[in-house]
Amino acid sequence: MRGDPTGKLRADQLRNASTPSMIELRDLQKSFQGKLALHGLSLRVPRGEIFGLLGHNGAGKSTTLGIMLGQVHPDEGEALIDGISVQKQRAQALSRTGAIFEAPRFYDYLSGWRNLEIFTSYSERVPAPKMAEVVDIVGLTDRIEDKVGVYSQGMRQRLGLAQALLPANELVLLDEPTNGLDPEGIHEMRLLIQRLNRERGITVLFCSHLLAEVEQLCDRVAILNQGRKVFDGRWSDLRGEKSRVRFEVDDWGKASALLATVPHITVGGGAGFVSLGENVEVADLVARLVQGGVRINAVEPQRRSLEEIYLSITHDSATVS
Amino acid sequence: MSLFFFQLRSELIKLFARKRTHIGFGAFFAVELLVLALFQIDKVQKAYRGLVERAGFGSEHYFSGLTMGMIIVMSTGLLTMLFLALVGGDVIAKEVEDGTLRMALCRPISRLRLLVIKYLACVIYTFLLVLFIGCSALAVGLMRHGTGGLFVYAPEQQVFALFEWHDGLIRYSGALLTYSLSFVSVTSLAFMLSCFNMKPSAATIVTLTFFVIDFIFYHFPYFNGIKDWFVTKNMATWVFTFQEKVPWQQMCEDYAYLFGLDATLVVIGAAVFLSRDFKS
Repeated sequence: MRGDPTGKLRADQLRNASTPSMIELRDLQKSFQGKLALHGLSLRVPRGEIFGLLGHNGAGKSTTLGIMLGQVHPDEGEALIDGISVQKQRAQALSRTGAIFEAPRFYDYLSGWRNLEIFTSYSERVPAPKMAEVVDIVGLTDRIEDKVGVYSQGMRQRLGLAQALLPANELVLLDEPTNGLDPEGIHEMRLLIQRLNRERGITVLFCSHLLAEVEQLCDRVAILNQGRKVFDGRWSDLRGEKSRVRFEVDDWGKASALLATVPHITVGGGAGFVSLGENVEVADLVARLVQGGVRINAVEPQRRSLEEIYLSITHDSATVS
Repeated sequence: MSLFFFQLRSELIKLFARKRTHIGFGAFFAVELLVLALFQIDKVQKAYRGLVERAGFGSEHYFSGLTMGMIIVMSTGLLTMLFLALVGGDVIAKEVEDGTLRMALCRPISRLRLLVIKYLACVIYTFLLVLFIGCSALAVGLMRHGTGGLFVYAPEQQVFALFEWHDGLIRYSGALLTYSLSFVSVTSLAFMLSCFNMKPSAATIVTLTFFVIDFIFYHFPYFNGIKDWFVTKNMATWVFTFQEKVPWQQMCEDYAYLFGLDATLVVIGAAVFLSRDFKS
């Protein structure tokens, strides 16, 4: 598992360690018909954070969510929400948890309001003004009395979010919530989630296979691949360990010999390529080369896209497993 | 407790707000009108009158709304079974298929409680459906034939009964209650199958197949020695409500058998439902 290549705990990690976890997964294991879906998954999501769970289809995201909601029985391990085991005390653990799945399903022949009434009744009886307030937050006030059957996909998602927020949920689990939405709908949904997190302090676990979406919304991310966690950390950790620079010089042999003496860098991976360690400044390397008499034509940062990093991580882990 | 009833109310709203319920209830009413229309045919009326007159009674007095209502209720038995198998088979399986059950199971409600609420809603639905059939059949009969005595003929149970209006109305009401109790077994079997990982239509088909086979076996002469085991035999005990002297002991025995069966089916369904994984 990656995420902290230096092995040192950063300030935010220390803070997270002291923050009570809203979600804690302990060594979850699950197989379906002999096929391993989750392999010893452990994870901590601090309270008040928007945390991304990233992985391609079949990586184990939905199974993880299912276990957290008590819909899937794990073979081993347990999921704790706000310190309460879902497997042992499901009702208490989920008392302040809401969720929506990629396409929230409702009773199409009933109104949005009636649907909310039905779903929230499985938690508690929610007073009408409180329901109206949440309906207003998601922007459905004008259409809440319409039958859900006539709702657009975007409206369904917003209704799904409303039911996930009621009665007064502090944790919302979102499984591919922007599936089927147009770009405008995706943008609206993202803003809504950010607003809820900012204004109400709601912890959000955002599951998606869309890298860009998770990147725009989440501070931290865990990447799942074939049921295993292959990364858990901040985006900067993911990017930082992969920073590279390409030097275009007149004599690469001489330049590489000079650079090889600099600590915390790796020369290689093709002519002109240098991988940078932590606290290494490109300007220092340029100075070293100039002082050594190497003529530099260009310096090009070779920051790989997140997609490349993601693919490389998942590919590496697949090869290892 | 009030939350429990609120949840039960929600479940009933879901069942009764469905278009299928409205269509189904409409279909029952249409069949009632059809039976009524068939009884306007001379040959049909003649057969009925002959039956009453051969027993030495005046057929005119007993060709009433009550009698018509009872004939209609008996005629719609198969349709009632089909409809209840459809409703019971849908109650879990259709929600799993539609994804709404997963939405419900995000909530802190326990699976057992959810199941109990759904089963109770199905049982209430069964009673209300039979009540609707009984009341609308009586209303249709009274509109066409007015008040009068009640005549009931069920050769298999050896019931040949004639009652005056008041007594007949009490027997008719009691019969609707026992008729509903009998049909709870159909609902229970469909409900149990609905808890398994199968399509709603499969749960309905298996339920209907079971009752058809049970009915055929019950009428097989070789199985006479074990006929008390057949579910349809025990379900037919409701007809004894019309016997001059109601055989309470036999009816209690038959219903105890059915209740035992219903309870077993629900427990099996619950065991399956509680152990299942729900995942897209």
